[in-house]
Amino acid sequence: MSLDRSTLLLADDDPTIADSLAPFLERAGFHVLVVSDGMTALEKAQAHHPELIILDVLMPRMDGRETLRRLRKSNIWTPTILLTQVGEASERALALEEGADDYLNKPFDPHELLARIRAVLRRARPGERSLSMAWLLTANELSLDRRARRATLSGETLELTPKAFSVLEYLMTHPDEAISRERLLDAVWGWEYPAGTRTVDTRMAELRRALDDDPAAPRFIETIPSEGYRFIAPVHGEG
Amino acid sequence: MFKKWRFKNLWLFLPVFVGLAMFILVQIFIPIVSPIIFKIDLGIAGFVFGVTIRNTGIVACIFGFTLTAIVLLIRRWDSRHVSEAQSLYADYVQAAEQKRRQFLRRLDHEIKNPLTGLRAALVNLQEAQATEERLQAGQNAGRAVERLTRLLTDLRKLADLDERPIERYSVNVPELLDDVVEAARAIPAYEGRNISLLIPKIPSPFPMITGDRDLLVLAVYNLVENALKFTSANDSVEVRALEDGRSIVIEVADSGAGIPAEDLSKIFEELYRGSNARSTEGSGLGLALVNRIAVLHGGGVGVRSSQSEPRGTVITLRLPRR
Repeated sequence: MSLDRSTLLLADDDPTIADSLAPFLERAGFHVLVVSDGMTALEKAQAHHPELIILDVLMPRMDGRETLRRLRKSNIWTPTILLTQVGEASERALALEEGADDYLNKPFDPHELLARIRAVLRRARPGERSLSMAWLLTANELSLDRRARRATLSGETLELTPKAFSVLEYLMTHPDEAISRERLLDAVWGWEYPAGTRTVDTRMAELRRALDDDPAAPRFIETIPSEGYRFIAPVHGEG
Repeated sequence: MFKKWRFKNLWLFLPVFVGLAMFILVQIFIPIVSPIIFKIDLGIAGFVFGVTIRNTGIVACIFGFTLTAIVLLIRRWDSRHVSEAQSLYADYVQAAEQKRRQFLRRLDHEIKNPLTGLRAALVNLQEAQATEERLQAGQNAGRAVERLTRLLTDLRKLADLDERPIERYSVNVPELLDDVVEAARAIPAYEGRNISLLIPKIPSPFPMITGDRDLLVLAVYNLVENALKFTSANDSVEVRALEDGRSIVIEVADSGAGIPAEDLSKIFEELYRGSNARSTEGSGLGLALVNRIAVLHGGGVGVRSSQSEPRGTVITLRLPRR
């Protein structure tokens, strides 16, 4: 898909954010439609068919979550990024469950938003549900049941700590994407700290042991030197 | 004053009133039923004084008086305990409210500083003509934003600790400390600083603890970073692990200037800044986080420090053994 002049719908009720992000995204080559509430976002999404929607969670008239639920209910599978609020640990998990393709915790670096937009657009399959909405993810002999919080390899249940499970879940819902340690920390742990990148490595080692995945010849998780990790096996979603 | 006394102490006469009422009732009804003579020895009183009460009315009067007095005494004892509990609760609420106000005052202060810097930087960005000045203003704005972000991140960590359950898995302490020391050595600002890790060889292997490894890494990292922040390049920082049969004690010691005695009891409070820490960058929540993590693991924190020779500070994190 060509990223040139893709139309983005940005819904945020805070003018200091919307007025700064819109020109930034325009400079990056997108056409940006700005709205300040969920109801208008829903109308614009139906009328203009943007390539991607960015929704703030807390908005007047209709919040970002409800807007997303209604979009998905009307079979609109436009890739969506949710801008979640600080301090709510459960919100990240909910964002994916409700059909967001990705989420970003406020405050964020605009460059990070741009990177996420590009990544989501790259993996989007127009009109199709995204992997983040699937309850069962499979990659070769590995399967991940997100409802039961259980991972199996060739039918054998894997012994994973909750954090390691969440890391695997995030990687499998973002396959073939280079994911930095900082991004994993933000997505799974909810907050980052300097020693945290080692924490990610410790969990990754645990995951690899459980998956019997050799870092030198990986089948599932590849290390990208001085960058992060990438889930390399093709992932299919069901449910 | 009289009114107050009258209402407050009226209950004292209740046993007398009840006793009299029972006497009158028995006097009225007993002759109608039958001329029964009640004969009760009053135990020791009867034996000592040789008194035998043969009047049913008086027996009823004493019975009514005693019973009412006992009921009143129990009620009074009970209400005294209730009022003590109420008073304790009121004290607790007042202390919590005071703590909340103090927290908000400190938060206000912590936010105002970087916000003032940010506003000044933005004015410079709008008004400065020279590119160099604009670049400098941009950098200053970035630093202020970093400070605010750090504060917000630590506030979020504290809130998260109250909300979500911690993981409880086996944690290898020497491995954890090794990770933390390696991470601290990699901080560009403290490059080349002397950080030693001391793990006893006996018992072997070092006892495990049960807990949330990520949170424990965060706690020890905060302690090491804090030690580095308050020491100079010539000072030493030591990370030590000990065990005393019941607990695992992790100590982070530094040979820095020490903490003033008046600050020692407050350094684990949220957003507290000691007199020698005001000019040092940080969110003011690092040690509060350490304390919270220790408590969540069933442990605690402690500090000893001296500003005179031999000077230095030792902060301890005590965690229960598995």
